[in-house]
Amino acid sequence: MSGLNEGTPTNKMSLKEHARQKRAQSARSALTGYMFLLPWFIGVLCFMAYPMIYSLYLSFHKLEVSPDGNGLLYTFVGWDNFKYAFLRDNVFPIEMFNFWRETILIIPVTVLFALIVAILLNQKFRGRMIFRAIFFLPVIFATGKVLMELFAQGQGDLPFAEQYDLTKIIYDTFPPALAEPMVGVLNKIILVLWYSGVQVIIFLAAFKTISPSTYEAAQIDGVTPWESFWKITFPAIVPFIFLNLIYTLVDLSTYSFNPIVNHILSNMINLKTGYGYASALGWIYFVIIFLLVALLARVSASLNQRKG
Amino acid sequence: MAKLILKKAIPGKPGISGASLDRIKRLLLGQRLNDGLIFKIFTYIMLVSISVLYLSPLFYMLSTSFKDISDLIDPAVHWIPRVLKVENYTDAIKGLYYFKALGHTLFMSVSAAVLQMFSCALTGYAFARLHIPYKNVLFVIVLLTFIIPTQTMAIPLFVLFSNLGWLNSPLPFIVPALFAQGIKGALFIIIFRQFFSTLPKEMEESARMDGAGALRTYWKIMLPLAKPAMLIVFLFSFVWHWNTYFEAALYLKNETFLAMSMQMDFMQGRLNDLTVSKDALVAGQFDMNEPIKMAGALLIVLPPLVLYMFAQRYFVEGIERTGLVE
Repeated sequence: MSGLNEGTPTNKMSLKEHARQKRAQSARSALTGYMFLLPWFIGVLCFMAYPMIYSLYLSFHKLEVSPDGNGLLYTFVGWDNFKYAFLRDNVFPIEMFNFWRETILIIPVTVLFALIVAILLNQKFRGRMIFRAIFFLPVIFATGKVLMELFAQGQGDLPFAEQYDLTKIIYDTFPPALAEPMVGVLNKIILVLWYSGVQVIIFLAAFKTISPSTYEAAQIDGVTPWESFWKITFPAIVPFIFLNLIYTLVDLSTYSFNPIVNHILSNMINLKTGYGYASALGWIYFVIIFLLVALLARVSASLNQRKG
Repeated sequence: MAKLILKKAIPGKPGISGASLDRIKRLLLGQRLNDGLIFKIFTYIMLVSISVLYLSPLFYMLSTSFKDISDLIDPAVHWIPRVLKVENYTDAIKGLYYFKALGHTLFMSVSAAVLQMFSCALTGYAFARLHIPYKNVLFVIVLLTFIIPTQTMAIPLFVLFSNLGWLNSPLPFIVPALFAQGIKGALFIIIFRQFFSTLPKEMEESARMDGAGALRTYWKIMLPLAKPAMLIVFLFSFVWHWNTYFEAALYLKNETFLAMSMQMDFMQGRLNDLTVSKDALVAGQFDMNEPIKMAGALLIVLPPLVLYMFAQRYFVEGIERTGLVE
């Protein structure tokens, strides 16, 4: 079409006109888009950006109640709060180290557990709906205080773990360097069980993205189920494995009952350290989480690239 | 697995011919592994045993909450108490300020969940479908808000809300929800974005051609289609607001507004006070036992549990249909 009319002056005009109209239209549609985003934008500014900047500001200051008794006194202290966290605070680095050592083990175990459960729930069998309903229960309860109360009483422990003294068996069979974290994970098995609900949902949804005809074709070609899992299912869900790793990481690091969070809170009300120091701790914590998430996202992206 | 087959199929039935052996093998192993008997049994065993782990705390709560002290101590009474002691519940209701807390928390959770559902749907739709310059940059901000721990922002938010005079009110939960923030707001935006991007484009286009504006198209055509995603987001948001402990403990410092998740901590003290006023004794020490605690715990989780029981079918189906991930 354009080839036919090329070169005629009247058409050049209309082409320009067309371009201008197109620009105007795109500006209009961009405006509509931004209008849709407006509430979110206000939210981010008030409840994300402002608190983040303020807390960053706080982390470089020492806060005191001013001598006249009203208002707060900000004293700039540079990196002191951060230095204090690593050099003087005798709880924070140790708690941090222990927390991450355990968490880094728990995360893959949780995702693996979620994957197995999702595979089982994805089968066709009688009573599937009932089992699904039960398996989503943790999503409802996991965040609650009530659950912690129950766990404190030993509800939710693995019954056979105590019965057969699993801890001792692990220590007997594995070298101590391996056995210690394994027992740590075993003690936190509750977390694995109860904080895998959303991950199971994500995996189930991921299975739905693979078309059934792929499996049928593979079956006709004589591919065994074992092979079809590794050749069809697994590559398709690799991105979701990473998604789940990230989700689990974020979930475990923000849940209200973890020791770091409590340490930050206790420093907040501690007069000697106060808001400034607590903010610095919050930032150190965030930076570590951010780096881990970035690392996982990076690995996931590079795997994707190699595949493409 | 292989060992199991050997044991069951071959040594157990020594005199069978090749064909019937084949049939047995197929029955046990199935055509495609996952329709064989062995796999089915294995699946059921796994599922049942994990289900038991999930359900046992609930049953423990239920059974203990009706026990009286003698049942609690008696080792012969494990699951079913000899007498149903309903007073545990009346005590727990008193100690939790149950109905006041129920009203407050229901109001807070429902309004926050509804607001979050609509605001996040709007945002998610914009990210999925609308023409927005620098969309990817903005979406990175969404992802960033997802991974920032609440604890990093707890202090500034606390200062902000206290300056606004919002402490001890439901506003710190409701207002951020209105602006697509609040508890896990970013996650809900991501869910809606995924959902809307799976819908066919033709629907909007035909609506546009009929002369509907962007907002009208969204409200009349797209949002009604998003019902499964909305249900999931509502349920998640409601439950997470109901269970919130960290935020509640931060913002609610007195008894003008009660968050259910915190009431367990105050039960003992309140019941002590009640004992004092009733018997006019000097040191009131209410005998706060396990069954009363469990009755309280059950009362606390009851509303989300009832909601889940009703919504469960749609919830499970919704997850299948939302295409939560794509």
